Amino acid sequence: MSENIKQLKTRIKSVDSTLHLTKAMGLVASSKIRKATERMMKGRQYEAAIEQMIGTLASSPECKNSPFLAVRDTKRTRLVVVAGDRGLAGGYNANVFRLAREWEDAEVTAIGKRAVDRFGGEIIYAEKFTYDQANAMAKTFCEDYAAGKYDRLGILCTRYVNVMTQEAYIRWLFPLQKDELARAHSVVFEPDENTILNTAIYEYVAGTLVAAVRESFASEVAARRTAMDSAGKNAQEMIDNLQLEYNRARQSSITSEITEIVAGSGL
Amino acid sequence: MKTFTFTAATPDGNVFQGEAVRVIVRGTEGDLAVLAGHIPFVTGVKPCKCRILLPDGTEKTGNVEGGILTVSPEAVTLLAGSFKYEES
Repeated sequence: MSENIKQLKTRIKSVDSTLHLTKAMGLVASSKIRKATERMMKGRQYEAAIEQMIGTLASSPECKNSPFLAVRDTKRTRLVVVAGDRGLAGGYNANVFRLAREWEDAEVTAIGKRAVDRFGGEIIYAEKFTYDQANAMAKTFCEDYAAGKYDRLGILCTRYVNVMTQEAYIRWLFPLQKDELARAHSVVFEPDENTILNTAIYEYVAGTLVAAVRESFASEVAARRTAMDSAGKNAQEMIDNLQLEYNRARQSSITSEITEIVAGSGL
Repeated sequence: MKTFTFTAATPDGNVFQGEAVRVIVRGTEGDLAVLAGHIPFVTGVKPCKCRILLPDGTEKTGNVEGGILTVSPEAVTLLAGSFKYEES
């Protein structure tokens, strides 16, 4: 009996320390959420502006010969997989990797420690992803695409719907999608359309990368907070149940002890 | 005074968004000013001082690291690596 009590006590202790851990992680995540969503919003604004500009460029008749607009047989796909730096974020990393499994033959560039652990490559932290890093990546992607080393470029990232919901999806960058709605008006280019498009394309890839990583990071912290909240609740429930069991065991051991003493006294 | 919608976008968000009367930047081919009703136009922008004249007559000045200026009939957008307002 007393062994059982001891076991229960150790379990309660261990669940309690888990509860502390989840609480702390939840708090850290909540404190990061505000900043992360703010940065995400800023990234989105830039992305929207850049997308609008690329749409104008892509639909202008002067740019139709650009290699970035040419649709080729999409045999070789390159994917940038953006996952989290740490685990314990509910289904966040798992959802990204599940989608990545559908593109097994794609060439993968990983961002975020978890993604790097899985796909290999140099460690790039999603939390500290800078515009300069994005620029360097964009340069390689654009040069390789223009040289025909691959036919399609996508970013596998997570869309932040709200604090409770995030979904993994692929955002295709190359070949450029023409904005069908944009009115094709003749545009004057200075110095010429190719120079402009070539500069714009780096900005486009880099800007979209930064926006995607920021959005994914915001999703990660939001997912972590939700996961930690529910883990904390579960832990508390478990402690309550164990405590009840412990109290019962203790009470019954006391009762049996009294019974034994009373029986032993020979009254 | 006729105005147009001007947006200065950087990776750190839109630093300017609103109506403007005139915007001056240094394009790859030389300084230029954009007024309302400008023809559709795209140019590279060199590192320069960007001057935005607001409808109330005040002027905002910022240092642009370089980027691209797009003028379409609907809006004028400056995409810049960075845009820092000058203290007036």
